[in-house]
Amino acid sequence: MHPASLQHVASSICNAHGYRLVQSVGSGSFKETYEVVSSDGAHQALKVFQPGFSPARTKRELEAMTRCEHPNIGKLSYVSTFPWQGQTYLFLVEEFVPGGTLTSRLRTQGLLSPTEGAVLGAQLIDAVAHIASHGLVHRDLKPDNILLRADGATPVIVDFGIVRDLAEVSLTPTWSLRGPGTPFFSSPEQLNNEKAYIDWRADQFSLGVIICVSMFGFHPFEQPGSTPDEVVELVAERRTRAERFHAAVRDTGFVILERMTAPWPAQRFRHPHLLAEAWCASLQPGTGDA
Amino acid sequence: MSAYHQMGHLAQNLLHDPDLGLYAGAILSPVNYEEEEVAGQIAGLKAREQFDTVFDPQLYCPKATRGKLPNWSYYPSDVDTADVASMSWWYQVIDRVVETCAHIGPRAVCSPAMLPNAFTDQCFSHLVDIGNRLSRCLEGTGILPIQTVVAHLPDLAAPDRALQVASIVTRTAAERVYLILVSPTEPRREFDDPEPLKGGMRLIRTLEDANLPVIVAFSSSDVLLWKFAGASACATGKYFNLRRFTKSRFDEPAEGGGQLPYWIEESLLAFLRESDLIRVRNHELMSPASDANPFGQQILSKLDETPGAPWLGLGWRQFMYWFADIEQRISAGAVDVEALLRTAETNWLRLEDAKVLMEEPRNDGRWLRPWRRALLEHAQA
Repeated sequence: MHPASLQHVASSICNAHGYRLVQSVGSGSFKETYEVVSSDGAHQALKVFQPGFSPARTKRELEAMTRCEHPNIGKLSYVSTFPWQGQTYLFLVEEFVPGGTLTSRLRTQGLLSPTEGAVLGAQLIDAVAHIASHGLVHRDLKPDNILLRADGATPVIVDFGIVRDLAEVSLTPTWSLRGPGTPFFSSPEQLNNEKAYIDWRADQFSLGVIICVSMFGFHPFEQPGSTPDEVVELVAERRTRAERFHAAVRDTGFVILERMTAPWPAQRFRHPHLLAEAWCASLQPGTGDA
Repeated sequence: MSAYHQMGHLAQNLLHDPDLGLYAGAILSPVNYEEEEVAGQIAGLKAREQFDTVFDPQLYCPKATRGKLPNWSYYPSDVDTADVASMSWWYQVIDRVVETCAHIGPRAVCSPAMLPNAFTDQCFSHLVDIGNRLSRCLEGTGILPIQTVVAHLPDLAAPDRALQVASIVTRTAAERVYLILVSPTEPRREFDDPEPLKGGMRLIRTLEDANLPVIVAFSSSDVLLWKFAGASACATGKYFNLRRFTKSRFDEPAEGGGQLPYWIEESLLAFLRESDLIRVRNHELMSPASDANPFGQQILSKLDETPGAPWLGLGWRQFMYWFADIEQRISAGAVDVEALLRTAETNWLRLEDAKVLMEEPRNDGRWLRPWRRALLEHAQA
């Protein structure tokens, strides 16, 4: 079934459950997200999955979202299935975050200042620490999966579609050359499907890349003129990071990003609280613009 | 930054020797002592402020019924039939180790670990799972967990292996690591391949950089390398002037003669037999550290006054004094390790030029060049 037809399913779900469909706000390979308004006027996000899409992964996603309760993580309100034209569709209703994605924020308003980067980073680190405290690894942190609240500054992490529960058996086959995730923001251990080395520090790496891209406009491993695919290869091979990255973090006082984006997990911050403490220290007056 | 005394057979008197007071802690062994004896040792050490008492359950080779280990209450009775790869089996062992420690009262306990056939990622994850379980079980007891890591030194020669191992080990909930570097290098031989040494140093450096202080267990003169890499502490025992941690140490002891006394000489970074000690002394190559070693002075006096008199016990003490002393000097930045190695290599060349041959065929300082390479290349990495 073509993803476009999910619009009809979404309309039918809205009719059956008393929602008003406002607009499509995003789509992935296996699901589509819509802004809807409930009968009490609250704006929410309706996410409809293609039938048969990896039930195990969807179950993990829902379990993860249910376990997480944090102001910078999207809240799950309701999960159910909907029969339509002989198929059964899984759908969920979650908090609607109206400020758009970090990607669109960067596109429309340009790069973050060091102060904005520091504030955004602190909130995202707190959210990642919360995710890690549940033994979870998000594995798909990227600007598209960071929504902004109405103030345009408060980030909310969404889309736990490929979340890894460290207490459960991995759903990624060991023979796969590359693990799931968006390659440009993925850690080397994800890119190489090195399961033994994947834990919350993979999210730490992605977060470091997101902040770097948001503040400096380039990936830590990105040489001037290199393509995204070339950057991904450099990360996967754990090559040296770009000199301009080191210069940028030195100039702005964000040297902490060097450790966050180190090629091996052992070289990154060991505990979320150590990362949070170091991040707070980098916000102290006198450390660049931050 | 400290030296630990790895307790061996009949070593309790060394714990209280006033001239060995530089030791900051002891690694207590179940192999040579009964449970009540160790409880007594710990009780006797409680009066020493800041002295760290660490219990090592010594289950590296669970089926080896060495010494008094089988008499301990945590020693698994089903060791011959158990699936030692099963976490549930280890959970039972951990529970009993915790009960034992609650009785004997050490400050810290190393997580139980076994020597695997292959040192795979899975094996290191297993070690960390055991360590994390121990950490949970020790909560509220006042006893601190230490993560035991058993690594095969030759494996660490492979590019990035140290970082791979460290990436798993740094998942531990414990706040310290007890690192055992296993090597096939036979006792009385020094490590002489720089690549595994560099790997060992890189592992130590990475763990320390990740805020995981490392105690390198079963060290000897290699303490120089591990301290250079940044190890917070190194442990040794009276026998580690002769032995090292190998799989063969769990074999049945072979029949053999008595031990020979050895002298650690800092000017050569080598262990010397009595006749070699006399040769080195005659060539005026004794180091200031040896001159200042109170046990060294006693040995020399004994040799002068009653040639041929035994000095095995003094030899152990001379080594243990040197170990704690050099550990402290390196920690304090009072020693340039590279310069120490360079001087030792030069001194061996002087002996060769003077046509002085040591009694032991391979005791010729040949390991110093690989050590220097390991050191320099580690520093440049």
